[in-house]
Amino acid sequence: MNRRTFLRSAGATGLSAGLVATAGCLGGALGGESTPSGTPFADHPATAGIEDQPRKGELGGNVVLAFEDPSCPRCRTFERQTVPDIEENLVATGQGAYVVRTYPVVYPWGEPAVHALEATYDRDSDAFWSLFAHYFDEQSSFETDNVLDRTAEFLNGETDVDGDAVVADAESGAYDAAVQTDLDAGMNADVGRTTPTVLLFRDGRYVTRASGSVSYDVIGTALGVE
Amino acid sequence: MSVASRLPTIRLPTETDDWRLMARTARLVLSVPAYAVLAVVASLTALTLFVVSLNVPLVLDLVVGGSLSLAGRVTILTELYPFVGSSFGAGQGLLLLLVAALTGLNVSMAIYHFREHGVSLQQGGTSALGVLFGTLGAGCAACGSAVLLGLLSLVGVSTSLLFLPLDGLEFALLALVVITLSIYWLADGMRGGMIGGCPVDL
Repeated sequence: MNRRTFLRSAGATGLSAGLVATAGCLGGALGGESTPSGTPFADHPATAGIEDQPRKGELGGNVVLAFEDPSCPRCRTFERQTVPDIEENLVATGQGAYVVRTYPVVYPWGEPAVHALEATYDRDSDAFWSLFAHYFDEQSSFETDNVLDRTAEFLNGETDVDGDAVVADAESGAYDAAVQTDLDAGMNADVGRTTPTVLLFRDGRYVTRASGSVSYDVIGTALGVE
Repeated sequence: MSVASRLPTIRLPTETDDWRLMARTARLVLSVPAYAVLAVVASLTALTLFVVSLNVPLVLDLVVGGSLSLAGRVTILTELYPFVGSSFGAGQGLLLLLVAALTGLNVSMAIYHFREHGVSLQQGGTSALGVLFGTLGAGCAACGSAVLLGLLSLVGVSTSLLFLPLDGLEFALLALVVITLSIYWLADGMRGGMIGGCPVDL
């Protein structure tokens, strides 16, 4: 192989590698045709059944729709660093809503946790937010084998919800449909397996999506809200 | 001749002299201003590729397109980088910067080698292999566990069976190892390609 031939092949190899790496790392970002910018909120596949989802603030204007897995470390960072600013600058000022779709795609214990979250939300929305925060606060100590026992313990001790009943529902699959609704919404919106993924809607229309624990500056700038 | 004896020997940087060779070769290449600039540009390009690859729709919708002001576009873009925004933890950010820096050095050394010495098939293959794995590994350094799980699921690994003690930093560490090997093989190849006139004065 002469030098020119090698350089050509090396270049092609490098380009291929770059494409493979990039495509792999994009996760769901390039998983299908992207949703056209400006799609009305109600018509976007990520918003299917949105009225039934845990929410802070009112729908109708700006919306931060987050797909999060309680077992996802970057979701934990997002919840700790970015969500407080969303609540302060967007929700508390009446400029928008923060909506969560629980999306178990990372560690195995996230799936039973999400079933328990759905069962909890159906009983008491405040208890849902408490349990959601508890999963992130104690994230490293949860495993598939202990998550439901610890969930019952937390709910019974810290909320008015019957933790044993929640666990019974989670184990029986009573909320399979609710969990599947979130999974379908994410897959239909090309969220793929990347969490957190945040979809941003400005004045009722889709703007863009961001993956990872992006800062509030990204969200606020995208929505035109300081 | 046995099969084993016909297989190429893979050299690994196991001795102190190997690391000294890498350092001196890197210093030699970076002492040339044009290659130093190339390394910096390649590092910044690699870092940008890594962080943008995580958020292509965001960049296309708001940085390239859309109606944001220039300041808004700059804010969106810069917030994606480690230690500016919150997309990466301290450990991930440091590893990502290190991977990007070594990628720049690797590119600069490879081009120096190609331009100054030419390459043999074996050296070139090894270098290309290093670039291949380095790019793949480095490209995923930013992604965290979710994308790692997604990648492995593409090759049939059940996500329910995975356990990632480092929450996805595994890919960044793998990238570091592969790029370091590539740099070593390049440095070793540069010495081999200049027998009797080695560019590195050991």
